[in-house]
Amino acid sequence: MPRDKIYIEEEFPSPILQLWLTFKRTPVAIWALFCYVLLVLLAIFGSFITPHSAMENNLDMLLTPPAWNADGDISYLLGTDDLGRDMLSRLIQGTSLTFGLSILVVVCALIIGVLIGSVSALTRGVKASLLTHFLDVVLSMPSLLLAIIIVAILGPGLTNVLWAIGLVLIPQFIHITRNAIKEEQQKGYVLIPILDGASELRVLVTSIYPNIIDKIIIQATLAQSAAILDIAALGFLGLGAPVALPEWGSMLANSLDLFYIAPWTSYLPGLAILIAVIVTNLVGEGLRHSLKLQKEN
Amino acid sequence: MVLFALRRLNLLLFTLLMLSVVAFSLNYFFPGSAIVNITGLVNATDAQLASYEKLYRMDQSVFFQYLAYLRELFNGNMGVSMSTQNPISEELITYLPATIELSLAALLLAMIFGVPLGFIAAIFHNKVTDKAILSVAMVGYSLPVFWLALILILVFSITLSWFPSSGQLNLLFEIEQVTGFKLIDILLSDSPYRWQAFQDALEHLVLPAITVAIAPMTIFIRLARTSMLEVLESNYIKAARAKGLSNIKIIYHHGIRNALVRIIRDMGLQFANLMTLAMIAEVIFDWQGAGSWLIDSIFQRDYTAIQGGLIALATFTFFINILADFIYASLNPVERYTRHATR
Repeated sequence: MPRDKIYIEEEFPSPILQLWLTFKRTPVAIWALFCYVLLVLLAIFGSFITPHSAMENNLDMLLTPPAWNADGDISYLLGTDDLGRDMLSRLIQGTSLTFGLSILVVVCALIIGVLIGSVSALTRGVKASLLTHFLDVVLSMPSLLLAIIIVAILGPGLTNVLWAIGLVLIPQFIHITRNAIKEEQQKGYVLIPILDGASELRVLVTSIYPNIIDKIIIQATLAQSAAILDIAALGFLGLGAPVALPEWGSMLANSLDLFYIAPWTSYLPGLAILIAVIVTNLVGEGLRHSLKLQKEN
Repeated sequence: MVLFALRRLNLLLFTLLMLSVVAFSLNYFFPGSAIVNITGLVNATDAQLASYEKLYRMDQSVFFQYLAYLRELFNGNMGVSMSTQNPISEELITYLPATIELSLAALLLAMIFGVPLGFIAAIFHNKVTDKAILSVAMVGYSLPVFWLALILILVFSITLSWFPSSGQLNLLFEIEQVTGFKLIDILLSDSPYRWQAFQDALEHLVLPAITVAIAPMTIFIRLARTSMLEVLESNYIKAARAKGLSNIKIIYHHGIRNALVRIIRDMGLQFANLMTLAMIAEVIFDWQGAGSWLIDSIFQRDYTAIQGGLIALATFTFFINILADFIYASLNPVERYTRHATR
């Protein structure tokens, strides 16, 4: 129930609330957010709702086409792969690997990146200049190339891929946090708490963070769509998840030699990746659009 | 302009130095002994290794080791590949041109289609055309490149059999390698069938180039759209409109030129992205380039090759970045003062 308004007062919603208020006015963005939440739920609870186990082989049902096909079987809705594993179950469980892990990686990279970025924004001189140069170097390298090189050092494997992608994403967050903080520091409202005698840290936490969090979230959605694509790409190249795991990229790699006789084994995982990335991008696009609208008003 | 150039070159130098430090430290991060990782001589005798240890000053401190490493790097000595025992620099000269050829073809495709589409979207801002182009761009941006490659092969080479699905050239043609760029090599050769070979090479190029081009193309669409929108908002366009120029004339004479300049700035960054996409496409299309070579060497734990590939690919992307910056600065005088020169 909304609060009764006793006094005539103007309420200023916090920046993040303002973002939400403009965000929810675009239908496409809300749909994308709905799908995003659905994917998150699938990633968490996916293993409880799958009709079959993702690893279970059914040797009587090798390469069953999807159910809408004449040879299909309704209990295997999206067909089976060459080992008789149910595609639908594998895709659902793959959500937690490709999509869920990408969220985890982005959150970790965000926390570390924001911390380092804040420290670097508060320091000046040689250290800060060295850091910007270093960031320039790292940022001008494509993320996947860097990830491939880090995997080359650490050796193939899903955990190593996650480390690599996390390491690659951190510089982006450092860069964006640092620039955003620098930009806010020039503004007048930051001066007031400083004049009140607040410490630099307090100014940062109470005044600056609430005003830059929207930019960081937008960067996070961009980073996540890159992370999904990178996890899947490395899985596809055989550098990531082992073959047995239902990771979307490695599922696609498995189906490479089957895709003429059983095209559904390759187009379904690809579609899953595509949908996950589009949904993430649409949420990010919606956020960016509402931020732009706010600036214009 | 001189100051600008000096600043940029300074940054390039610093960057390359950082890169060499990273590459050098890899020798210690990779499993195995450092001298074997530097030289790649896995089957060498102790005496041979001892002489190389002297060359790389392994008995001295890390700093002198690094200097020795730099000296050998500048001499073009990157060690030998652990798996084939061929010098890395020779392997790079064989494989890198194919990657560059593929990337350039894709860049060309992406720009030819992306930029005009972006302009069209900007001209019909907030209309159906704009929204349609933007939604297509969103889908294209989200397409996983390896999946796109598979779909293209399935449709165009298996079902329709219009284009070949793998390789760079039909094995029937025997073309001597001169530059490593297949198309140039074919034109240079004196084979009587070179025009057929040329056509065949082009057919092999189509699918990989489209695969690599789609994602950068969508980025070009967005870039072209934003920059055209910005230009159309500016005062000189309003002045031209006040003079009574028609819309087509305004866009042709003032809009396109000014909008194109801004796109060139981002071309360099896009090229780095393109090289990565090309690496994956090479694996799928069995394209004999540096990307598939690098990924193979990861599987074979060929540490010298990984190092060499890293240095070569990164240096190349940096050079392209700088080149794009220079072209941009020479086309747009305003930028010379605002960007790296005065700050």
